[in-house]
Amino acid sequence: MSDARGRSTTVGARARRLEVGLSSAIHEFVREPVNLALLVALPPAIVVSYGSMMSAFPELPYMSSSPEQLGAVAGTLFVAAFLPGVIGLFQVISARRADERLSLTGFPRATLFCSRLLAVAVASLLTAGVSLAVLTTRTDVAALPAAFGTLVLVGVLYGLVGMLVGAVLPRELEGSLVLIFVADVDEALASGIVQTDGAFAKLFPLHYPHELFQAAVGGSGVATGDALAAGAYVLVLGVVALAVYTTLTGEGGVR
Amino acid sequence: MPNIPYESGSVSPGSDADSTGAPDVTDERVAAPDGGRQRERSADPAAGGSTADEGGEVSGGDVPGDAADGSVVLRAEGLEKTYGSWLPFRRTVEVLDGADIEIRAGEVVGIVGANGSGKSTLMKALVGALDPDAGTVEASGRVGWCPQEELLYDRLTVRETFRLFGEGYGLSGSEVEDARDRLADRLDFEEFLDYRVDQLSGGNRQKVNLSVALMHDPDVLLLDEPYTGFDWDTYLAFWDLTEELRERGTAVAIISHLINEQERFDRIFELADGTLTDVTDEGSNQADDAGVR
Repeated sequence: MSDARGRSTTVGARARRLEVGLSSAIHEFVREPVNLALLVALPPAIVVSYGSMMSAFPELPYMSSSPEQLGAVAGTLFVAAFLPGVIGLFQVISARRADERLSLTGFPRATLFCSRLLAVAVASLLTAGVSLAVLTTRTDVAALPAAFGTLVLVGVLYGLVGMLVGAVLPRELEGSLVLIFVADVDEALASGIVQTDGAFAKLFPLHYPHELFQAAVGGSGVATGDALAAGAYVLVLGVVALAVYTTLTGEGGVR
Repeated sequence: MPNIPYESGSVSPGSDADSTGAPDVTDERVAAPDGGRQRERSADPAAGGSTADEGGEVSGGDVPGDAADGSVVLRAEGLEKTYGSWLPFRRTVEVLDGADIEIRAGEVVGIVGANGSGKSTLMKALVGALDPDAGTVEASGRVGWCPQEELLYDRLTVRETFRLFGEGYGLSGSEVEDARDRLADRLDFEEFLDYRVDQLSGGNRQKVNLSVALMHDPDVLLLDEPYTGFDWDTYLAFWDLTEELRERGTAVAIISHLINEQERFDRIFELADGTLTDVTDEGSNQADDAGVR
């Protein structure tokens, strides 16, 4: 199959385009050493500091575990969400105008979006691994594979949030501030550190992943309903982010 | 934002495109020469008069036969663009106000204008990178665009840059390599193929910027201040290349705030007050005022 310009539209050609897009996105990211340094250095700093800060809290009746453990778990989820979120944000913002030119050559924006998201997913693997390793030095983790999978899911989820914010608000400073605020509030609501209206908290991205992660850490067994809800959240957010990205960074986007 | 009509195929004066109805800026649709089939404008200059969807599907097609016969390969009519904002403390600036231009196969056209006259806005409207508020743009064949600012990926090497944009153009691996080697040799940046773009000098970045616009062998080439940063040898190589493209029937439009060597251009337009005026034959104060030397 080929299009009017003789360009192949086979699955193989599409896969090659995605591979080239992914390869480019990863090269762009890893060739900035500061990016890699932050991915490795921030998780320990955040997980340890969250745990230490929370250790001074009194243990309240509604808390499911000790404040220190809650803090370490909250820090792990926060960093596993926030770092891929920032990467997603900058993937969209930093190369926005070059992306416009690439789209004008005929590179499908949806493919570009997917290649950026895959790059975020790769970064999520690294962030999840490092942050979980740090957490295991602070507390026992009953189900490591489930905990790791949940953190990767959280990374992809917040990568999508970051890409969404980047498409809607293509400014590095303002976009980063929005992302910090959202991730911080989200984690605070999901962690159970503060008592909240359950229905309201469920609207935030980290609610179900937090339940999954808490279960994986405590060994209470992963609830199927929570897993399905978290997966559905990722799917819906993915569709919304793709639609917004292709619309707002599309024709007429170069200024 | 309004959709802009985009017509596939030749737009030669007197062709079916004309007989079936001139581009209509009012209803923003044009009757296509293929029996009234209508398309929205594509943002895909590589596809020329084609429409690309998200999956890269392209309908319509190239009209390579037009390239050598001097027919119109790019036509813009009644382009209007005003920059405004709902935010406070932002000014509204009317940039284009009914700009018209036709570019024919095998000619080199210069577009000159003062700083801030809207040259880059015009160029973006012509390639589909910017939605004008009104007006139509029609193109046939493949379009190449070299923006004034190098829109490249800083941390990719030159080789990777060609590969990525080559995928966009739908070129095979061997076609990308051929184009890359040919242009690197022609513009003399072979030794920098494995350099990252952000490690190149300004002139070499501009060579890569230009090469990306040329690598798919376009029928219409739109260049925005293309020789900024070029040394003298590269400047001459650029014009040799332009002359070669002209002989092959490629239409070349060059936007610049200052046009040297007027004899290199077939026609020169001045963009002022949002409209284009042909100043080719003025040879007078008007051309001088427009920056033609």
